Amino acid sequence: QADSGIGVDTWRANKLDPSAGAQGRMTDEFGTSWLIGGQRRSPTGNLYMCPAQPPQLDHFGDWIGYGVLEAGAVGTSGDDRNALWNRYADWDSGLILGLLDYTWQRPDDGSYANVRASRISEDDQYYQAVFGRAGAFKIQAFIRDQPNLVSSNAKPIWNGVGSDQLTLPTALTPGGSTVADVAAVSAATPERTLSVKRSKQGIGFDLNLPMRWSVYANLADEQRKGARPYGGPFFFNYPFPNNGGVLETTKPIDDHTLAINLGVRHVATQWRMDFSYSGSFYRDRYTRYTYQTPFALWAVVPGSASAPLTTGQMAMEPDNDYHNIKAAFTYKLPLNGELSLTASAGRMSQDDRLIAPIDCNGVFGIGLGGNLNPGPANPFLFRCSDWNTPAALSRRTADMRIDTSLLDARISLQPLDGISVRGGLRFNRDDYRNGYLAYNPLTGDYGYIAENGSQGSIVPGEVGLFNPVTAPSNITRVRSLPLDLQTIDANLGADWKLDNKNTLGATFAFNRYEPTHRERRRIDDNSLKLTWVNRSLDWLTLRANYTWKKSNGDPYEFDPYEFTYSIDLPGYVPPAGGTPSHTVEAMRKYDMSSRDGHKIDVMATIMPREDMTLSASLRGDWNSYDAPIGRQDYQTSSATLQWDWQPRDGTNLSAYAAWDRSHLRLSNVQDQQAGAGVDPRLGGPNYALIGQWWLRDSQRDVYAGATLDHRIGRVRIDANWNYTRARGMDRYNYAGPTALAYPALAPGAGPGGGAFPAMTYRVDSISVGVTIPLADRFALRVFDYYERGRVSDWHYSGFDTARVIDHRVYTDGGPTRYNANLVGVMLRVAL
Amino acid sequence: QQTRADLARNLPSSNLSGHDVQATRTSLLGAPGFAHARVVSNPAAPDATPVGEGMCISCHQLEADHFTHTLHALGLHAANKADASVPVCETCHGAGSAHSQSPQTRGLIIGFTKDSGTPIDVQTRTCLSCHEGGPRDHWTGSVHQRNDLSCSDCHNPMANFSSEGLMAKASINDTCAQCHKDIRVQFNRRSHMPLPEGQMSCADCHNPHGSVTSPLLKTNTVNETCYQCHAEKRGPFLFEHAPVRENCLNCHSPHGSNQNTLLVAPIPFLCQQCHTGQRHPNDLHTSQSLATGSNPDERIMGRGCLTCHANIHGSNAPSGPRFHE
Repeated sequence: QADSGIGVDTWRANKLDPSAGAQGRMTDEFGTSWLIGGQRRSPTGNLYMCPAQPPQLDHFGDWIGYGVLEAGAVGTSGDDRNALWNRYADWDSGLILGLLDYTWQRPDDGSYANVRASRISEDDQYYQAVFGRAGAFKIQAFIRDQPNLVSSNAKPIWNGVGSDQLTLPTALTPGGSTVADVAAVSAATPERTLSVKRSKQGIGFDLNLPMRWSVYANLADEQRKGARPYGGPFFFNYPFPNNGGVLETTKPIDDHTLAINLGVRHVATQWRMDFSYSGSFYRDRYTRYTYQTPFALWAVVPGSASAPLTTGQMAMEPDNDYHNIKAAFTYKLPLNGELSLTASAGRMSQDDRLIAPIDCNGVFGIGLGGNLNPGPANPFLFRCSDWNTPAALSRRTADMRIDTSLLDARISLQPLDGISVRGGLRFNRDDYRNGYLAYNPLTGDYGYIAENGSQGSIVPGEVGLFNPVTAPSNITRVRSLPLDLQTIDANLGADWKLDNKNTLGATFAFNRYEPTHRERRRIDDNSLKLTWVNRSLDWLTLRANYTWKKSNGDPYEFDPYEFTYSIDLPGYVPPAGGTPSHTVEAMRKYDMSSRDGHKIDVMATIMPREDMTLSASLRGDWNSYDAPIGRQDYQTSSATLQWDWQPRDGTNLSAYAAWDRSHLRLSNVQDQQAGAGVDPRLGGPNYALIGQWWLRDSQRDVYAGATLDHRIGRVRIDANWNYTRARGMDRYNYAGPTALAYPALAPGAGPGGGAFPAMTYRVDSISVGVTIPLADRFALRVFDYYERGRVSDWHYSGFDTARVIDHRVYTDGGPTRYNANLVGVMLRVAL
Repeated sequence: QQTRADLARNLPSSNLSGHDVQATRTSLLGAPGFAHARVVSNPAAPDATPVGEGMCISCHQLEADHFTHTLHALGLHAANKADASVPVCETCHGAGSAHSQSPQTRGLIIGFTKDSGTPIDVQTRTCLSCHEGGPRDHWTGSVHQRNDLSCSDCHNPMANFSSEGLMAKASINDTCAQCHKDIRVQFNRRSHMPLPEGQMSCADCHNPHGSVTSPLLKTNTVNETCYQCHAEKRGPFLFEHAPVRENCLNCHSPHGSNQNTLLVAPIPFLCQQCHTGQRHPNDLHTSQSLATGSNPDERIMGRGCLTCHANIHGSNAPSGPRFHE
C-alpha cells in the first residue's frame, strides 16, 4: 500500500510481528512448483521464500473472503518496565489482538478490501482499512499508536511533569533549599517512566484516470504527548561550589502535525510528468515551559548580594508551516535515452509569539554592598519589569522564513549496445528571509538575559547585555544567524556491459557547497566512483564499488560570526586587553574542513548448493580531515556474513555474523588566559601547545544471530536468537596538565593520557514458538521471548546512588541492565 | 468454449513498449482491473505466440494457486473475464508458445529468476511497461539500476510473501537486508530508529527505485527527510545552530548508534569537534569529572553539554542564542 516516492507510513506493524502477519503464515507443504523442488533464486541469487498455503475462501455473493485472526494473552516478567526493553514496544500483560487480517475480493471487477489490525496495548496498536479496485483506485485509512519510552527510572523532583509548569514540592523552597533538602526529595521520589506516545490518523487515495493520468492524496495528523528529560540552566556549578544550578528538567511534549501529500502523474509515450504538493503544519500546545529552581545563588563579589531568582523557562519549538511544490518532467530521447527535469520550490516559516527574555519579578543581577535596590549605584542590578514582558523585544513575533528551491536535470543515453552514459546537474538554494535583532526598546540595551538571569546574578557584568553607554565593552550575541546556502552538483558517468556477465561503471561527481556566514564561502567535493558487477560464475554474484573522495575550498575563516555579536555594533569599545578571540585559529569544523577519503563496498552472493546461499559484504569508509584542531579522522568499516539454508519446503535455517568498527580522532586545545586571550593562534600564549589534547573514540560492534523455522508434520517450530555486543572506548592524550579540566589531578607535569571506562551494550535475545494445528481452521501458538540486556554508560556513573550532586539535579538515571521475558499463547483462526 | 488455438489467435500482437497500456481508457473507474494489459514481447522469442493462462496452468498449477490471491492476479483475472483477449501470465512472461514447445530452453519465456536466461534490463523493462513513472521516475541511472538489480531482486509478485508490496521477503526491511545486512544490524544498537520493532520501514526515508537526492532519499535533502517525522525540528528558529540546519547527520547516525539519541560520538566530545571557544568548552575531561570521580562536572555527566544547551536544535527564545532557553 506504500508509495515509495512520497511520504512516510509505508509500514504498520509491531514488535510482536514486524512482518505484519507474513511470517506467521504456514508455508505450503507442496512447495512452489510441481515441476521443480525447492526454491528459485532472485537474479542476484537469493533464495525466494516458500509461498504460504493458499487461503481458505468464504463466498459472499460476488465476493470471496479470507483472513486470519490471532488473539490471546501475553505475560511479561522480570525487569519488564525497563526502558531498553520497552523502548518502542509497549508490552502489557493481558489479552491482546495479535493480528486481524481479512481480505475481500470480487473477481468480477477486481475490487478488493482489506482490514488489518493489531493491539498490543493502548500505546502500541494499529488499525487500517483499504478499499480499491486493482489497477483503478485505492482508498486507505489508518490509525496507529506508537510508544517511545525514553526513561524508566526518572526521578523528577518537580510536580507537573508533562505540563508547562514544573513546580517544586512543598518540601522545597524555590531559590532557598539546601542541597540536602533537594537530595532528600530526589531520593524519596519514586522512579517513574517518561515516554512520548505518537498517535496518528491518516487517509489517502490513489486513482488512475483515463489517458494514463493518475492522482493521489494523503492526509495524516499525528499527535505526540508525553514528557522527556531535558535541560534547565541556572549557571555553572563546577567552578562555584554550592552555587549555580544545573537542572535536568522534564520537557512536556504536546503537539500535533498535519501532513499533506497530493499530486498528479502522467505517463505518456514520450513524456512522463509528476506534479506534487507537500505540506506540513506543526502546532505545539505550549510556547514555553517554566520550572522552579530549588537553589539560591550567591554573587562572587564579596559583600554583594545576588538577586533571588526562582523560575527558569525553556522555549518550545515554534509552530511552523511548510509548503513544497514539485514538478518533474521526463522525456524519452533517441538512443534509449531519457532527459529528466525536476523543479521544486518550498517555504518553511514560523511566526510564533515570542516569550519575554526572563520570567522574574523584582530584580535580577547583583546588588553591590548587599543592596538590591536598582539604580545608578547598582550597575549590575536590573529591574525584572524591564525584561519580563514582550515589550522588551524588538518585535513580538518571530517572523522567520526559509525559501528553498531546487532544479535537477539528468540525462541518460545508450549510444551503443551495452554502453550507457549519463549526466546530472543539480542546483539547490536555501534563502533565509528576515533576521532578528536582540534589542530592548525599554532600556536601549542589546543582547539577552543569560541563563534565566543567573549568570549575571553570580558574575557581575555577565548578564548578557551590551549598551553603548553603560556597557560598551560587553561582548554578547545580538543578531540571529541566517544560514543561506547554495549547492551545485554535477555528475558524469558511463556504464559498459562487457557481456551479460560483467558491467563496469565510472561516475565522476562534483559538489560545490556555498554557505553564507560559515567558515568557508565555498567547498568543493570531488569524487570518482568505480563500479563492477560480475556474474561470470554461476554460483556467484559480485558487486564491487570503490570511491575516491577529495574535498577542499577557499580559505578558512575561523570566526565568521562576529557580525552576530555586539562587537559589530556602533559604540563597541574593546576591553582594555583587547577583544578576546572567539576561538582558536587552527580549528577546522568537520563539515567545513578539507578532506581526503576512500570508500569501498563489496557485496557477494554465493550459491554453494541449490538450497543454500551465503551472502557476504565488506565495507569501508576512510576519511582524513585537514584539521590541526577539530575532527582529524573518521573511519568506519564492516564485514557481514549470512548463511541461508532451505533444505526443504517448510524448513529454513539461517545464521549471520557481522562486525563493524569506527574510529573518530579529534584534537582540541584548552585556553590558558581565563577567557581573556586575544591571540587566536595555536601555539600562541592563549592557545598554547601545552594545552592541546587528543581523543580517539573507538566503537567496536559484534552481531550474530540464527533463525530456525521448521515443520514437523503439521506442527511448526520457530526459533530465533540474536546477539549484539558493542564496546566503545575513549582514549585521550594531552600535551600538559593545563589541557585538563582539572590540572591538579594530573599525575605529573608533562604529557599524559588515559581512557574512560568502556561504554558497553550487550543484548542477547532468544525466542521459541510452536504452532500446533487444532482443527481445520484453528491453530494454537505458544511462544516465549527472552531478552537480556547489559549496558554501561559512563555519563550516568553513580546515578544509581544519587541524582543530586551539589547544585546539580538529574532526573534520568540512564540506561540500566535488565532480564525480561514475554510469554504468550495465541489462538490463530483462519477466517 | 474457446480452444487454446482460438485464444491465441484472438490475442493481440506483442508489444514491449507498453505505451498503450491504459492509453485508450476513456471512462473513469469504468475499466475492470488491468483492462488494457498486453502480452509483453520477449526479444529472445520474437516469433512466439500467446497460449493463454490455461496452457500455462496445465504445468504451473501450483504457481497459479499461489499467484491467484495477489493483486496482480485479481486485476488480470478481472480484465480477462471481461475480455478474453487480455492475457494473464503472458502480460509479464511474454508469449508462451516457444516455451511450451521447449520448456527446458532458457529464455523462451521471460523469467525473473537467476536461471531464467532473461537479461536484467529486459526484466526491468517488462515491469516498467506498466509501472513506469511516479515513484520509479528516476530508476534509470539510480544506484540500484547501475548495480544491475532487477525488480525481482526485491519483489516477487508470484505470491503474497509480504503483507504489502509484493516483496520478495516478509517485509520491506527484510528485503533490503538481503544486501544491506551491515545497515540492518546497526538497528540493533542501543539507540536506533524503530525499525526492528516494525514501527517503520527503510522506505519511509529511502526510495529504492531512484530519487533526485543521494542516497535514494525521498525528499530534496537529508533534513527534509528527517522533518517528515520530526516536524518540530523544522523551525526556522530565532537562533539557529549552523550544523543542525545544514545536515542532521552532522551529529546523528541515522540508523543506530551506541550513544544516546543516535549520536555519532559521546558528549562532550561530539561537541568538542567544533567548539573550542574560550573558557568552558575546550577542557579535556577525564573520568574524574564523572559523578563517581573526584570532581563531578556537569559538562560531562548525564546529558553533558545538553543539560544547559538544551535547545541544541535551535531556540525560539529571545534569550536563547546559546540554546539555554
